[in-house]
Amino acid sequence: MSLVWLLLHDALWSAVAALGFAILFNVPIRTLPACALGGALGHITRTFCIELGLSITSATFFGATVVGFFGHFAARRWQAPSTVFTVPGVIPMVPGSLAFQTMMDLIRISETGPGVDSAMLASAAINALRTGLILGGLAVGVIAPRLIFYRRQSIF
Amino acid sequence: MAEAEDRLPSASEDAKKEALTRQELADIVDLSLWAGQLLMQNGAESLRIEETIHRLGTALGCDWMDIFVSSNDIAVTTISGLDFRTKIRRVVGVGVNMTIVSGVSRLSRRVERGELNRIQVRAELERIALAEHHYPRWLTILMVGLACAAFSRLFGGDWAIFGVTFVAASLALIVRQELTKRHFNAVLITVATAFVAGLLASSAIWVSASPQTALAASVLLLVPGVPLITAAEDIITGHLVVGLARGFFGTLITLAIALGLLLAVNLTGVGGL
Repeated sequence: MSLVWLLLHDALWSAVAALGFAILFNVPIRTLPACALGGALGHITRTFCIELGLSITSATFFGATVVGFFGHFAARRWQAPSTVFTVPGVIPMVPGSLAFQTMMDLIRISETGPGVDSAMLASAAINALRTGLILGGLAVGVIAPRLIFYRRQSIF
Repeated sequence: MAEAEDRLPSASEDAKKEALTRQELADIVDLSLWAGQLLMQNGAESLRIEETIHRLGTALGCDWMDIFVSSNDIAVTTISGLDFRTKIRRVVGVGVNMTIVSGVSRLSRRVERGELNRIQVRAELERIALAEHHYPRWLTILMVGLACAAFSRLFGGDWAIFGVTFVAASLALIVRQELTKRHFNAVLITVATAFVAGLLASSAIWVSASPQTALAASVLLLVPGVPLITAAEDIITGHLVVGLARGFFGTLITLAIALGLLLAVNLTGVGGL
């Protein structure tokens, strides 16, 4: 029961977040509900995967894949490019605070100077790696339908 | 969508197209660059820019289009028979406007179906470029504030944090809009906005034991999600140079957010970030 509650909580707030960014990005009005839905679908997939015990990186990949396929079908249904749905949809999963944490670590290391301890260095490296991997997972997930369905496109 | 994108000009199809004059080729170069510029300035990824320009140009009568998308400029060559014309356009200024991306994309499909000629395409591009935003400014500010507050819930913040984040993020967006209107540098705008958001969110220290959540959530409106995602997409689809340039820009903006927050936190003394 608590898992259902957690997923509902997650779906509601990630939908609000996706909706806010969809409006900031000036998406066509007819696509607004779909943008919110995409954000919710992606984020609950990720939270569900994390609850199953997956790492945040692979969970994000699965969440983004759901958003990618949702965007692919929403593009036909609402007659707009898939980016319109996928970008606001994955924004709730962008590792903003991790990227920020990495920058803070780097600033702290430079302030500490030569006496910097290994824990601080390791923290910066781990955060940077996670940020990169999560972003990569997001991108591969979002363009997964493209990679699968439109292989002949690579002529350019 | 699928059948349209599967359609590649074959040799027999090329033969059916009439040769274009130099004047017509120049006109198509111009329209293509305009369409490409609109896409690039408003957050489209490189593959989409190439596809859309290619579709537009070949539908307007060219045999083939060669498109070079770089980080700050687009070059297009229109080819018809043995004749060709090339032009480069510098593209500066980045924002995200999905209505423009969507509009140009749909325009290229309509041209492909033969609904529009060159003159009509020019009029349509003008309409797309000059269209007003769908959402009034107050609504955007309200919803972005709400979005950042929603993030604070996702991070496990309570209702007090929610309120502080909402106010801090909304006011931060106003600051960013005002600075953008005055054409300040993007990195500078980000530092200033993050500083303001950080100062306002620090007030969470009076209402909550974990003000860090409010600090982290209230700057999320600044996170360069679009540059970072398109960077990764570009790299995967083989547009390495554009991807790296966008990724570096995204990293720079992230650094600017950290810097602005750090300045604010040093002033207010809210630790533990």
